[in-house]
Amino acid sequence: MKFAQAMLAVAAATAMQFSASPDAFATGKMKCDAGPQSGWKSRTDLEAKLKKDGWTIKKSKVDGGCYEVYGVTPEGQNVEAYFHPVTMEKLLVSQRGKVIFKK
Amino acid sequence: MLRLINVHGFFWLLLAVPAIGMTIGFLRDPVTAFDLIHPSGEFSVRFMIMAMMISPLRALFGRQRWLDWLLARRRALGVAACLCGLLHLAFYLYDMGDWGMIAEEALIFSIWTGYAALAIFVAMGVTSNNASQRAMRANWKRLQRLVYPAALLIALHWVYVDGETMGMIVHFAPLLLLETARVMLMFKRRSARSGTGAVTG
Ligand code: HEM
Repeated sequence: MKFAQAMLAVAAATAMQFSASPDAFATGKMKCDAGPQSGWKSRTDLEAKLKKDGWTIKKSKVDGGCYEVYGVTPEGQNVEAYFHPVTMEKLLVSQRGKVIFKK
Repeated sequence: MLRLINVHGFFWLLLAVPAIGMTIGFLRDPVTAFDLIHPSGEFSVRFMIMAMMISPLRALFGRQRWLDWLLARRRALGVAACLCGLLHLAFYLYDMGDWGMIAEEALIFSIWTGYAALAIFVAMGVTSNNASQRAMRANWKRLQRLVYPAALLIALHWVYVDGETMGMIVHFAPLLLLETARVMLMFKRRSARSGTGAVTG
């Protein structure tokens, strides 16, 4: 394959990706406005609840004021999921940057 | 110390340090595979960018001893990028641990861009020896130029898998600046030449 053709192929694939999901960047992350941390539920509780639901947890942390969990869903998908730290509600789930659930 | 770094074997060893460290970490505690995906990918990108910066630097600064020194070690940088990429893939596969899911994810944009880039790296890596270089003649150079689409694929891979752009931009900015300067210089030289050409007839 010639150099110019290769670059063109990559550019075309990127354009297709953008037209398929133009907001891919914006939606890959989440922000929560959940007030002071003293009012939050504990992250251990969230992990325990998810494990009971069939998740495997690899890691969890606070990101953008939400709880962010890296793990495997009961369906077996490797995901990055955001939860509200007060209501524990599931807000966003993305699989390798592709949004597969959004509240 | 300075003399030691001039020994080629030592330079190869130096580049292998991150990979050795990550492999030891993994063997001690395989659960860390998940956390090692990120650094192995980043080291691969770093080595690739270092290798790619040499050519625009030479276009801008001409022949310099330090650039010759780097040029003599460009192959080592490229092979290190390829090997860290393979290590990155190994950690990813181990962390996934399920071929069905691996196949499913391979169709996601952020992941197939990684595979495509790595395929280019591997093709370049296995032909990074003098015998291949001689046997392939002009095709060897053509293959090496595929590093530019590979770099583009990796930039996309990074941004999409991560959902944010900062890490990618910080790493690629030096290369982008140098390439921009190289292109600008090329145009300046070209217009200067055609300018004198017009005057003399
Ligand atoms: C062989 C196919 C590849 C697969 C399946 C793959 C997969 C992944 C995955 C799953 C992540 C996310 C890691 C995390 O969230 O911690 C990642 C991150 C990354 N990959 Fe790859 N990758 C591939 C090839 C490459 C290549 C060839 C390079 C570089 C030359 C690369 C560079 C990176 C970088 C720099 C990151 C860091 C992004 C971040 O987490 O901040 N990848 N890759």
